Amino acid sequence: MAKKQEEKIVYMDSKGKRLDGRKAEELRPIKIQAGVIPMADGSAYLEWGQNKVVAAVHGPRECLPKHTASPYKAVIKFNYRMATFSVPERKNPRPSRREIEISKVCGEALEKAIFVERFPNTEIEITAEIFDSNAGSRISALTAAAVALADAGIPMRDLVTGVSVGKAGGKILVDLSKDEEDAPDAVDVPIAFLPNSKEIVLLQLDGVMTKKEWQQAYKMAWDAAQKVHELQKGALKAKYGNNVKGDEKK
Amino acid sequence: MSKRVVVPGELVTEERKKLGSHVFISEGKIYSDSIGLVNDEADYASVVPLEGKYMPVSNDLIIGVIVGQRFSVYAVDINSFYASYVSKKEIREILKPGSIISAKIMKVNEMNEADLGNVRTFFGGEIIAVSPVKIPRVIGREGSMLSVLKAGTKCNIIAGKNGLIWAKGGNVELLRKAVSKISKEAHMDNLTQRIADFLGVKEGAQHESPQTENDSRRMDRGGAEEENSESI
Repeated sequence: MAKKQEEKIVYMDSKGKRLDGRKAEELRPIKIQAGVIPMADGSAYLEWGQNKVVAAVHGPRECLPKHTASPYKAVIKFNYRMATFSVPERKNPRPSRREIEISKVCGEALEKAIFVERFPNTEIEITAEIFDSNAGSRISALTAAAVALADAGIPMRDLVTGVSVGKAGGKILVDLSKDEEDAPDAVDVPIAFLPNSKEIVLLQLDGVMTKKEWQQAYKMAWDAAQKVHELQKGALKAKYGNNVKGDEKK
Repeated sequence: MSKRVVVPGELVTEERKKLGSHVFISEGKIYSDSIGLVNDEADYASVVPLEGKYMPVSNDLIIGVIVGQRFSVYAVDINSFYASYVSKKEIREILKPGSIISAKIMKVNEMNEADLGNVRTFFGGEIIAVSPVKIPRVIGREGSMLSVLKAGTKCNIIAGKNGLIWAKGGNVELLRKAVSKISKEAHMDNLTQRIADFLGVKEGAQHESPQTENDSRRMDRGGAEEENSESI
């Protein structure tokens, strides 16, 4: 009986609206604020739909323990952590396999953007703490971390911009919510770009997609990523106001 | 002057220009590598950063804080990636953790570790920390901001390139407020004038025209740092 009800869920109605009223290519509302933690070298707060992330950057600084340092480049230490209260059931605060994996892939994505070779023997520590999650938290963490890195003044080729696409109920959708991710045929594809060079720095996929579906998903992801990139740029510029020339009144 | 804020990866110019700091070339176009200000009318394509850490450069005057000692050296925190070391033979005084020194960076190796020379020790005074990228604004063009700060607060000031400012005598609390105002408004134009108004310094006392000042000869010789170190 329960199964029959699940099958009835319509992930996109006849008007092209999704469960939460969005269109197929529409993102959830995103809010980014740069420079929220004074004690960190750089920081950012991001709300992506229900996801809430604080990212903080320390460094480049002396790499400790010393055996982790590289004489050729700065080591990126990315820490993705979910708060115990970020999910419906209490999460064990011990770093899970999933968190360790996400920390690794996000750190590697950011390393592609940072001029790490300019800071040999140092580490750049990035902490992304998830306070509330609802699908797409790794992308939220990565997007916030890119803003925090720029806020720390760390030289980068580009702002890493993440977005997730996927499939639910046979339809290709941008920025899946938790309900859509729980669809029986769901495919979730977090994907991160360097917007200038269109390089992909993060791509994870489990599930099945045809070649045609993937091509459509990639195009939708790229268009959505550019919207996110504009928001990242806006957040950084908002910190310094648009008033570069100084107030006329003095 | 038309300035605009750029973020990492943002296009600075598509023209062929001489390369300044904090830019990189990709496919023939010049991009910014950090958050900063671009002046589109300048000959150089360069970005003045608004955030960042101190990267040691030879001949910089820096302020350091002693953090520890070994058998024959003091470890000095120079607000960079690693601590630097000063030989105990170089200094007459016995220093403790927390003592303040000024030094010149003699040599920087490929790991950005700095060798210090010309070490001087300080007695008393206070340290004001500010972002290292904002130190040029604290010193000002040809030391203009520094002379406004000195005139306004009657402090003895030495601004280290590493973001630490040593101050003694005068109204240090007022100086602290002025410096925090500078660091908040570093990206805006006409800053020296606004700080002069804030401190109540008259037009004549600051240096819009340095030739009329006694300091002008000193400034001609070596710029802000020279003037800085002579006033100890």
